[in-house]
Amino acid sequence: MNRLSLLLRQWRNRPGRAIATAASVAVAVGAVVATWLSADASREGYRRLAESIEGVPSIDITPRETGRWDGSGVPKLIDIPGVRAVVPLVYKPALLRSDERRIREVAVGVDAGGLVDAGFLKLVEGRACEEPDEIVVSRTLADSLDKSLDDTLLFLSRRGGYRTMKITGIADTQSLSALSDGGGVVVDIEALGELTGVRGLIDRFRLVLRPEASRQAVLAAVNERLPEKLHAIVPAGRASMAHDMLNAANLGLDFVTALTVAMAWFIVGNAMLMNVTERRRAFALQRVLGATTRQISRMLFWEAAAIGAVGAGFGAVGGILAAGPIAKGIARAIRAPDFAIAYNPWIVVAAVLIGPAVAVLAAWWPTRQAAKVDLLESLAHMAPPPENISWKLVTTAAVLWSLAVGILVAVVTGVLPPRSAVPAGIATTLAFIATTPVVLPLLARLLAGFVPSKWRIEGALALEQILRQPVRTALTTGVLVVAVSNGVGLGHAIRDNVDDVLAWYAKALKADWMLLQAGALGVSRETSPSAGSGIVEEVSAIEGVETVQPISIAIGSAGGVACVIVARDMPPNEQLPLEAVGMSDDELRTIVDEGGLVAGTALAQRLKVKAGDEVTVSAFGRTIRANVAALVVDYTAGGTSLFMSREAARRIFGIDSVDALLIESSPAAAAGLREPLEAVAKRHGLLLQSHADLHATIDRIINGIVGALWSILGLGFIVGSLGVANTVTMNVLEKRRTLGLLRAVGMTARQVTRLVVIESLLLGLSGCIIGILGGIASAWFIQLSSQPLLGHPVSMSFRPEVILSNLAAAIAITAIAAWLPARRAVRLDLLDSIAAE
Amino acid sequence: MMALVSEAWRLQPIVSLILAEHLTKTFDAAGHDGSPVTAVRDVDLAIDAGEFVAITGASGSGKSTILHMLGGITRPTSGRVMLEGVDLAKLDDDALALVRRRRIGFIFQRYNLLPELSLLENVALPLVFDGVKESACHKAAMEAIESVGLAPRASHRPDALSGGEQQRGAIARALVTRPAVVLADEPTGALDTVNSRHVIELLSCLVKDRGQTVVLVTHDQTTAAAAGRLIRVVDGRIASDTLVGDADDHSVVSSARTAVR
Repeated sequence: MNRLSLLLRQWRNRPGRAIATAASVAVAVGAVVATWLSADASREGYRRLAESIEGVPSIDITPRETGRWDGSGVPKLIDIPGVRAVVPLVYKPALLRSDERRIREVAVGVDAGGLVDAGFLKLVEGRACEEPDEIVVSRTLADSLDKSLDDTLLFLSRRGGYRTMKITGIADTQSLSALSDGGGVVVDIEALGELTGVRGLIDRFRLVLRPEASRQAVLAAVNERLPEKLHAIVPAGRASMAHDMLNAANLGLDFVTALTVAMAWFIVGNAMLMNVTERRRAFALQRVLGATTRQISRMLFWEAAAIGAVGAGFGAVGGILAAGPIAKGIARAIRAPDFAIAYNPWIVVAAVLIGPAVAVLAAWWPTRQAAKVDLLESLAHMAPPPENISWKLVTTAAVLWSLAVGILVAVVTGVLPPRSAVPAGIATTLAFIATTPVVLPLLARLLAGFVPSKWRIEGALALEQILRQPVRTALTTGVLVVAVSNGVGLGHAIRDNVDDVLAWYAKALKADWMLLQAGALGVSRETSPSAGSGIVEEVSAIEGVETVQPISIAIGSAGGVACVIVARDMPPNEQLPLEAVGMSDDELRTIVDEGGLVAGTALAQRLKVKAGDEVTVSAFGRTIRANVAALVVDYTAGGTSLFMSREAARRIFGIDSVDALLIESSPAAAAGLREPLEAVAKRHGLLLQSHADLHATIDRIINGIVGALWSILGLGFIVGSLGVANTVTMNVLEKRRTLGLLRAVGMTARQVTRLVVIESLLLGLSGCIIGILGGIASAWFIQLSSQPLLGHPVSMSFRPEVILSNLAAAIAITAIAAWLPARRAVRLDLLDSIAAE
Repeated sequence: MMALVSEAWRLQPIVSLILAEHLTKTFDAAGHDGSPVTAVRDVDLAIDAGEFVAITGASGSGKSTILHMLGGITRPTSGRVMLEGVDLAKLDDDALALVRRRRIGFIFQRYNLLPELSLLENVALPLVFDGVKESACHKAAMEAIESVGLAPRASHRPDALSGGEQQRGAIARALVTRPAVVLADEPTGALDTVNSRHVIELLSCLVKDRGQTVVLVTHDQTTAAAAGRLIRVVDGRIASDTLVGDADDHSVVSSARTAVR
């Protein structure tokens, strides 16, 4: 026999203990693998979703200060890894004539042939324009004008005459829209310069990226090569929104993954601690017989590695099996296209390698404890001595709290990026767990007071078991603390943010019907004035329509940051569609009426400007310097928006398009308006959306978010409940001698069951209460951390339904988790238990 | 530290096998009101090779604590224990484990055999920790088992052995490393009269036939009567130290030991 076979004998003698420990590792590894895989799949899903919003990923190069320029100063960029093409672009509002119709449209000047070849511009018919009198039009425009290939359009030139342009190609609307930020026609860049008088000038260079390229890496590489006067930015509109969405999703997924890893760590650490604690006597005896502390440590490390490998193997397989349904659930929730999990065999290999390493690391502290075990105490059949709260623990808690608060302050003040909130969130959770042993005795005593007096013996014994080992109990409850604080924190934060967006929708888009350019709501920034101003009169003339409010949307930049310019009027005596920050509605209305510039809070945050500061704003080749007169809460294009009256937009930038119409009707006429409005929408190639449609869309989005939240919560609770069940099982194993003695002196099986269940419930409720407090702190944390992203604080509401549902779930889980260990406790053989070695 | 141990064992001759000076042991917060309890107070003791010493006293008198300090299971609060000239207080935990493994054999009241191992494996355990080859472990363990008359039961697990057999197995384990001293803590406390007699005879034979030093703690006067020297402990102090058959009291023995130091 050698020391390894001694280990094997120990396992064979107590297979339950070895299995429970391996099961803990399996649960922990399974949870991490499942979360990791589904988070990876979600990232991929979000990436594809972003791609479908954005089209082909790209970045823009523009001057920092001026608008249009001659394109000089741009070095060679095509050799940067991830860059597929470098395309000069120029945009010009143009007037087209088709038969008797005059259409305002944004024309894009590019080398169309090159773009088609690169796959950036998709043609559904025909070929790219190559000659000065050739033009490519979007499918939507072609349909609305009833034009097809080889038909002609008249293009009003700068000199006043019309040039006849032959339609050589019809482009996929979305592809053209992504390329041109909403433009409807493509003309050769030289020809557009000649027609509009901007020859030799361009608005931007657009870098088309390869799908696998990292936008951040390319941005950094490009900015490094550019001269001071130029910079590379994420394009406004769809790309900007997709970029922000991807960042926000990654932040959330990082947080969830990190929390799962933390939870897994607690499960494995606790299992190892209990595994070792149960064998204190055996280790003491081995030390009396001459085993050195090093030999005991080595033996335990080998054991941890072996159990870790077995557990990790099962956990990896379980995690992979679980990841599929979780990923599908999230895919449905976010409605991402082609959402599939990537089953990477290396994950199993990594898990099997990392599992033992984690188990060995988790065994480090218990092993130290085992090696230091008091030989006398263990040989005398004494229970382990009560734990004292050490100064080390208090110091650890203080350090964790300081770390969390320090990072939070740095994130809120902008010293650190919002992504740094992830480690801060984890530090907060760990700080709560480290604080648990300090508050647990008080909490457990308080809860034990609610145990009915007829069960006072069971309650008192259960309380004694908990109070005797507050540090270990804190580890046990740590799993639940993480699960509950995760649930309550994310539950509050997500619901609060959703409510903030809902409040914005309710204010900004108050209408019975909406006519929009094609594209999702909130992304409707295509500058496609195809409808022309006449559409307002056309819709107003429909019977039952009470008010029609036109909105113009254009792409521009402010202070070098891509933004969306929204031009809309603020009719008197109507609720203001914007939420002012730091001023009254009347003051804001006056500012807009007087032509003032109003910035969304997210844009202001990015530009680091406040009301009264001056910014440079560019759109359609015009650049102005203006004061930001006010700030408003806004979510258009992720909040990177500038508002002004339509009159001001027309005067300053020449924006007089109608990109969206908000239509209000009398209640009686609302339903009957669908048919005439659909006819208008069809004529002008617009999208008709009713208030009910809008609400249904919003509801779907919210349900998706809430569904994803519940999936994450569910996973947390499943892992948490398995952790609690395992811990209570090991508790019973460890206390079999005590339980045997209690039964020997007359405790009934039912009393033993109650003792185990009460102990489990006290553990669960203590963990849950601490978790709820941690969750509320986390929610506050998340709100503060998201402030730099949103630019405005999201008010935090206390949500009893989230707290109560978490509390109910924790009680149910701990009660169920106690059932198996309680049965086991009842079935313990009295003699065996009393003589337990 | 290991080198220190080896060096000390080479620096023979040593007159007393075990020499304890001013041994005191106080347990923190062991009192009913959480106050410290002094279990052993200023004990001086010398034990020669080949002696069979019985330490007796009432329950709680401190006799087991003295034994534990002699065996390096617990460290004295003050005073020191010299085993074969090596001051145990100067050894770190691992060096002390080495001393226990090679120079001391322990026998406990509750046998303390590991339930997952067979008798043979239990007996071989100290050699396993010493890194001795499996075949050599097996051979030495079998010899020890044979010496206590349990050869036919060598492959049995402890739960298949009677109390007396388990205690004899524990004696075999204590002997397997050929220790300098065997320390037995109430070795007959859990046994019936017949088995108790067998165990005591076995220990007596070890002393007589092999010259093995044995120190046993017991509260049973019949068991203690088998020893050649009786030390009575009262309230943590040595009340008397008597060579069996002599009328000499504690001071006589003590002064004799002091003289040969």
